Amino acid sequence: MENTKENVQKETIGIGAWIALIFLILVLSGAFRTAEGPIKVLDFTNLSGSFGKIGDTGANLIGSGGTGAKDGFMAGFNLIPPVMFFCGLLAVFEELGAFKASDVLFRPLLRPLMGIPGKCGIAFVSSFTGSDVAAVMTKDLYDAGDITDDERTIFATYQYAGSACINNTITGGAPLVAICPVALGPCIIIMFVCKLVGANIIRLVLALNKKKA
Amino acid sequence: MSEQKTAVPVKQKASIVDVFLKGCAKGFKVGIENITPAMILGYVLVYILRETGLMDLLGVVMSPVMGLFGLPGEAFAVLISAFFAKASGCATAASMYEAGALTLGQASMMLPACILMGTLIGHYARIVLVTGSNKKWHPLMILICLFDAALSLVIMRVILMMMGVQ
Repeated sequence: MENTKENVQKETIGIGAWIALIFLILVLSGAFRTAEGPIKVLDFTNLSGSFGKIGDTGANLIGSGGTGAKDGFMAGFNLIPPVMFFCGLLAVFEELGAFKASDVLFRPLLRPLMGIPGKCGIAFVSSFTGSDVAAVMTKDLYDAGDITDDERTIFATYQYAGSACINNTITGGAPLVAICPVALGPCIIIMFVCKLVGANIIRLVLALNKKKA
Repeated sequence: MSEQKTAVPVKQKASIVDVFLKGCAKGFKVGIENITPAMILGYVLVYILRETGLMDLLGVVMSPVMGLFGLPGEAFAVLISAFFAKASGCATAASMYEAGALTLGQASMMLPACILMGTLIGHYARIVLVTGSNKKWHPLMILICLFDAALSLVIMRVILMMMGVQ
């Protein structure tokens, strides 16, 4: 059905969008976190920086040894700067076309990866950073007859685990991202892989179920 | 020979700087409205669990299950709170690390799991119901999220072990 020459009217994706995507991946990968020299600015954690130490106590303004709501508030406060920075960064990369470029990148992979048509590309890419748009798009794809009921189940399963996994990791996961020795990018890749495995389990179950019927 | 400057086309849309600033402001809102409240919930929860001795009890009861992943039984509290809200799961883990109940490796190991099996009830409505997917498979979809989380624990454990993080 798909061979109607995917007239996806190649939205002009300039070289800038690809460069933006590469930069986004590099910044989140953590590859330069411990790099020497100026290249270390290409790392999200380094760019987020750190609070200064107070006197020679060795502690920053969050202090140490706090408990309960007050300590929780300070811990939340500690996370606001990197989250603000990330949201700004993501908005810029989106503006530069990095998301559109990743759509082009993923489109041909969706069938092999989880057995859903390339038409799901935009919903797929947007599901990295938002749950609602992707969910609505999935329903629209089904209503328009672009995906079958089973394909919708597979795609929804993929979206359900972790939902918008990039944004959720940065915001909800912030307290652990701040201490995790594994950089943000690799963590997101791990989640992506697990989401794919889950989607393929249901893909398999659906296929077996169909055979039986 | 007039030196004509090639006029930079005035963009109607917002400049990159504006986009960045707007994004940051949005992040501030998320920080105040979502993250900080979750942190308060997580930290208070851990305080209550610790002071009442419930944490120790949880540790004993859940240790066989959590032990499969190289985690102490107390770590179950992290996954339970993640199930209701990703952020409070992560906040609980961070706070338990600070309190010395979890090592750095154990706390960080749970990051992907907290996200993958996090906020499953809220997202059931926002994703599963919104997509209108076949009701027959809904229970399996929830189970798969839990499976994904378990899988991520194993992967993270291996990676952290290779990195030499305890």
